[in-house]
Amino acid sequence: MADKPIFTVYEVFVQKDHASPHIWVGSVDAGSPDDALLLAREGFLRRDPAVSIWVVRQEQVHRTDYEDEDFFARESDKQYRMLTGYNKANAEKWRKYKKDLLDFQKDFVKD
Amino acid sequence: MTDAERLSRFMERIERGDKIEATDWMPDEYRVTLVRFMQMHALSEIMGALPEKDWVPKAPTLARKLSLMAKVQDEMGHGQLIMRIAEDLAAPLGKTREDLVTELFTGQAKFHNVFHMPAPTWADVGMIGWLVDGAAVVSQAALLDSSYGPYARVLQRVCAEEGFHIQHGESVCLALAEGMPEQRQMLQDGLNRWWESLLLFFGPAETTSASATVLMKYRFRTKTNEELRQKFFTKYVPRIWSLGLTLPDPDFRWNEEQQLWQYSQPDWSKLKAIVKNQGPLSQYRIGLRQTSYEQTQWVREALLSKPAAIA
Repeated sequence: MADKPIFTVYEVFVQKDHASPHIWVGSVDAGSPDDALLLAREGFLRRDPAVSIWVVRQEQVHRTDYEDEDFFARESDKQYRMLTGYNKANAEKWRKYKKDLLDFQKDFVKD
Repeated sequence: MTDAERLSRFMERIERGDKIEATDWMPDEYRVTLVRFMQMHALSEIMGALPEKDWVPKAPTLARKLSLMAKVQDEMGHGQLIMRIAEDLAAPLGKTREDLVTELFTGQAKFHNVFHMPAPTWADVGMIGWLVDGAAVVSQAALLDSSYGPYARVLQRVCAEEGFHIQHGESVCLALAEGMPEQRQMLQDGLNRWWESLLLFFGPAETTSASATVLMKYRFRTKTNEELRQKFFTKYVPRIWSLGLTLPDPDFRWNEEQQLWQYSQPDWSKLKAIVKNQGPLSQYRIGLRQTSYEQTQWVREALLSKPAAIA
């Protein structure tokens, strides 16, 4: 029983298109990395399109502990790092000059 | 931290609506009950595919064959997804995937009561897709907010695909309902056959079983059997009636006063028999599954062996 071979757990990451990152979707049991890729396709991509799959042995994933909340501790106020820390006040000032606040999506990406 | 402190922290998290993860500390009661629940769910997905796969070669058209085959694949896939997360939770109990799979054969693990029933006609395939899967989605959608994170995440995928299964079942039933008198009769006979099973599906209204109490306590589930059954009636009975079908229960009606559907009780002794694997096809289907598992043993062994020439 002790040396009975068992399947290895592989965590599965799917990239749906080249513009998107690989996203974790779940895991599969497999005997080899090649099988894991096949099983991941059968298990997670019966309908959705994709361009790439990664499989990683579960034991190779280094992770934080959910209980270690200090690891993710934040200062009380992160507004100084955020768009919302500035845009409202700036927009109000621009209004004096009869100008709109430039918007990243509207003015840079889509224009 | 003592176990008592851990438990009280755990309960605080449950009451806050936090999701529990496989690697978190959890009381044994939570772990053991959830492993049982997910094991049964996984086995039910696999066992539920058996009555349907019988119909793949007999489906009336190529299009029906394709959609039924897709559904059978989905159910097996759901079984795999759920078994995989059950396995993570069972590992600290010293249980392996093989244990979870083979406990079905010894009767230590159960599969859902609705999959112990025969499916003798094409209308039964429609009934399973439309109403049995409808009942399954009612109960699974109620678990989407389950306290166990991995299960809640897998269910999102499962429910999305069940949505397709319901449409598949509706398509089959609508075609029969709009067909020849023989087809309509076949559909009515199917409903007559499945109605009691659909009532048994959700279990008794008053349940005091230990596992049901534990699942509620830890907010794994939050709705009672009766709440789910009533929701099923609300969604489906008006549609059943609109197709001109008759429920095989003359006392079934909406009770305006109580704001509840009133129905004749099914024969609950049938559920008791099924729980002991003494339902109409319990032994036959377990045998089918066991034979299939034994016959594919060489495939699992081959997948686990390293090719000598390369290694």
